[in-house]
Amino acid sequence: MKAKKIDHIGIVVNDLNEGMKTFADNFGFAADTSKGGENARLGIKNAFMPVGESDLEFIQPMTEEGPVATFAKDRGEGMFMLSIAVDDVAAAVEHLRALGYRAGDANNGVAFVSMRSTHGVNLQLIQRA
Amino acid sequence: MRGVRATHIDHIVISSNDSAATAKLFAENLGIDIKRTMSRPGTRAHLEFAKLQEVVLEFAGPGEVKPYDEVKARLWGIVFAVDDIDAAVAHLRGLGHNVTDPSVAVQPGAKIATVKDGTSGVPFAMIQYNAIPTDEMKREA
Repeated sequence: MKAKKIDHIGIVVNDLNEGMKTFADNFGFAADTSKGGENARLGIKNAFMPVGESDLEFIQPMTEEGPVATFAKDRGEGMFMLSIAVDDVAAAVEHLRALGYRAGDANNGVAFVSMRSTHGVNLQLIQRA
Repeated sequence: MRGVRATHIDHIVISSNDSAATAKLFAENLGIDIKRTMSRPGTRAHLEFAKLQEVVLEFAGPGEVKPYDEVKARLWGIVFAVDDIDAAVAHLRGLGHNVTDPSVAVQPGAKIATVKDGTSGVPFAMIQYNAIPTDEMKREA
């Protein structure tokens, strides 16, 4: 497995519009409206702001359960996740499992690695088309 | 001025109680090459750096590690590269935000300023490379 680049950094916010406005007004970042939306399976809605070759992903929990909601309840707003781009996410998952990592199955080009395997860092692997 | 005119994410800080162990985990298992290791002058913090294209991953931890500790790490903060740190600081202060004065960074020739609020809970700093003229750097050395 070879990490290619930092694809994006996930930031949990209480209110997606307010979080986006904060970063637009204060720092001049602009939203990439081609990405993001609601994800019922994950219980979130999200939006992206590119900064150079990586993105900031703003994530608002839409339900009371799930990792994003739990993070928001426990820690409030803040950095939630690091997303690393790889060439082949299924192969990366297989590689990590062979090393003893806990990693979820790849779904739509995305897989999550258990924080128990990463010293507590919430890590996502992503394969872009 | 529209925003701080950030050009890219310069680095992401991962804080760990054993930064060498966390850097090793990322290097050996995720295919990330550690490019540089150092102790921060004055604090003895142990820093390791890896670069993935334009973004540096900085693993930061204490200089002395208790061997019996469970290794715990977390995403700590983001540093954005800007072309003019004085203008970026002035812009944010003009909006009423608390920002430190630019100070000399550990990166040669660079200055860094920390943004204390208005960041949705993300520890956030700005860095400008080539901020210190060469003759000034020679005097400081």
